[in-house]
Amino acid sequence: MKKNLKRLAALGLTAVMGAAVLTGCGGGSSSGGSSSSGGKESKDGKVELTMAVWDSDQEPVMQEMAAAYTKEHPNVTVKTQLTTWTEYWTKLEASAMGNSSADIITMNVLHVEEYADAGILMDLTDAEKESDLKASENFPAPLLNGYTVDGKLYGIPKDFDTNAIFYNKEIFDNAKVEYPKDGMTFEEFRKVCEDLDAAGLPEGTYPVPVNRNSSQTTYYASVYANDGYILNEDNTEAGWDDPKTIEGIQPWLDLVLDGLSPSLEQMANTDPDSMFQGGQVAMYLSGNYMIPSYNKTMEGKYGIVSRPTFNGKNTDIINGLAFSVSAFTEHPEEAVDFALWLGSKEAQTIQAEAGVVISARNDCQDIYVGTHPDLNLQVFLDNVENAELLPHCKVTSELAQVEKTYLEQAWMDEITLEEACKKIKTEEDAILEKMNAK
Amino acid sequence: MGEEKKMAKPVKRKASKRDKKDWLAGYIFIAPVTIGLVIFYVVPFIQNFWFSFNDVNKFNVATFVGLANFKQLFQEPDLLLAMKNTLIYAIVTVPIGLGLSLLVASLLNSKIKGTSFYRTIYFLPSVTMSVAVALVWKLIFHSEYGIFNAMIEALGGQGKSWLTTPSTALGCVMIVAIWGSVGYNMIILLAGMQGISKSYYEAAAIDGAGPGTIFFKITIPLLSPTIFFVIITGMIGAFQVFDSIYMMIDPTTNPAFNEVKTMNVLFYQNAFMYGYKGYAAAISIFMFAIIMIITVIQMIGQKKWVNYD
Repeated sequence: MKKNLKRLAALGLTAVMGAAVLTGCGGGSSSGGSSSSGGKESKDGKVELTMAVWDSDQEPVMQEMAAAYTKEHPNVTVKTQLTTWTEYWTKLEASAMGNSSADIITMNVLHVEEYADAGILMDLTDAEKESDLKASENFPAPLLNGYTVDGKLYGIPKDFDTNAIFYNKEIFDNAKVEYPKDGMTFEEFRKVCEDLDAAGLPEGTYPVPVNRNSSQTTYYASVYANDGYILNEDNTEAGWDDPKTIEGIQPWLDLVLDGLSPSLEQMANTDPDSMFQGGQVAMYLSGNYMIPSYNKTMEGKYGIVSRPTFNGKNTDIINGLAFSVSAFTEHPEEAVDFALWLGSKEAQTIQAEAGVVISARNDCQDIYVGTHPDLNLQVFLDNVENAELLPHCKVTSELAQVEKTYLEQAWMDEITLEEACKKIKTEEDAILEKMNAK
Repeated sequence: MGEEKKMAKPVKRKASKRDKKDWLAGYIFIAPVTIGLVIFYVVPFIQNFWFSFNDVNKFNVATFVGLANFKQLFQEPDLLLAMKNTLIYAIVTVPIGLGLSLLVASLLNSKIKGTSFYRTIYFLPSVTMSVAVALVWKLIFHSEYGIFNAMIEALGGQGKSWLTTPSTALGCVMIVAIWGSVGYNMIILLAGMQGISKSYYEAAAIDGAGPGTIFFKITIPLLSPTIFFVIITGMIGAFQVFDSIYMMIDPTTNPAFNEVKTMNVLFYQNAFMYGYKGYAAAISIFMFAIIMIITVIQMIGQKKWVNYD
């Protein structure tokens, strides 16, 4: 009997131990993250580079670009490594320091500063200067600035996205309301929503979803147009309590509070993207990167017009990706050469012709407009010169949770927007102070 | 038992060459598991312990900070909430799950037709991917298309958005947890029940005991070691609940997320959303301590009710 007891006790303790390890495993060990092979070099001088990507819609284009490069440089082959968006950064974090990350890393503006600071990305400044890329002439300034940290270039701009209003023609036709037009003011945009509402949309159908976390497509732009700000220039202070910031957000929030948008809870149950594709919202503010998805479900049934202006300005938020090179690559020369080539007219033309994203290079942007002749893609390009980069710093995800907590309460009409913004400001300033102290 | 006695008192003599050879074979046999355990459990555990005394950034660069992480943990505004949620989760799901598993196990232990069919059905949740389970239940609780609301409305009630309302979201997750645990626990309990000698039941039947008496006076006491095992593993599992919450309550869009935060969700948030891996390591060490204490208490408490004869 005693033996049995001991055995059970041992079993229990092992289970507890296992329990702690399970939680501990994620605590920072890199053994959990799958490591990927870096470059391999075979005896005949052939080099194989790896390139990390997260978008399966774009992987074929990336492969096409890689193949074109290999044609010119027969000793170099490039293999793409697809990781889904949700795991991409977690995997990259784990593999970056173990220098087992891919040689070429697809980077976005929100992460570049952090990765550059941690010494994971190679400084491309000199390589760019020596090459004939002429980045400052060939790429939009906000994008280059986005990938320049402390005066050093860490990424070759790949593509960018801006936003527009996507509208479901069928809903407008059924409601007998005129389609939205390019260059509407915010008041006119709201009027369209009201007209739709007055025309009597079917039950469960709304004029436009304005989600709490849709800042990139909706309220950030109007905050900037209204001379408000989210983060100040040197990332030391949040601008949420600035009356101009609040004024930029309020009209969007009013659409929700006045029932012209589905409620926050409805959008938590079904995300607005699915609502748009399911014909439950008449209009949706979204980025050009969604076109391939929408074309799969509703090709020909939707149209695109430019975002409403605010305060007389057509400010938009631009976001874009870049190709960065891992600082730990075993083939720095080849990897840098390939990254620079990816910014060339040849490479960006291949990308643009696929019609998935807008190539970052100025002389390749127009190609994109022709890829979907039935859609007015020009609106995405028109926005570039008035576009602001997404606000970003090293603690973006932590700030996002603060914003979530209080904006949700405002979205559910539990507190006023002003109260929410004041609370956000206080908490974010504390987080920013901690960040800057490090 | 007999064999163990022999092993407990080995005859003292020098190991022969043959013995050593046997041992070597033994070691080789356990090597794959041991190496796996060392690499994936022991090493990360030690590393995690070390990390809890460090400031570790997203990229696993550690700087020693002593007890700062633990100091921060005890000032954590969400700590009490997370502990409360975890405790509620454990206290509700484990006993109810156990009760239901016992019920199902005893039903399936009786002579009815198609027991293996029912066993398969009840065991299905345990072999289904937890992600798939969470997604299906998310649809069931959906505010507009969910069958849960459809049922309530058919009965004349008022449906609501269960998963986004802070007061009901955790309850929904617990229902799924109970549903998912019944099958696995049932199999273990059933195995225990079938190990009980029939002679007890025959004797009880001759003495005129009813089914209730038989269940409480024979089945439960003789099953107590198995029940104890189910409670211990259930508690440990409950304290570590994460995946179902994360899958059902979206951290970026669901307004109830902050209210249903458990210890492990707090850990995940800091480790993988914010990149404070040292602090997260401290949270996991804290959890380890709590689980350990609770398990030790159960180990001591079991002397009063677990019957090994």
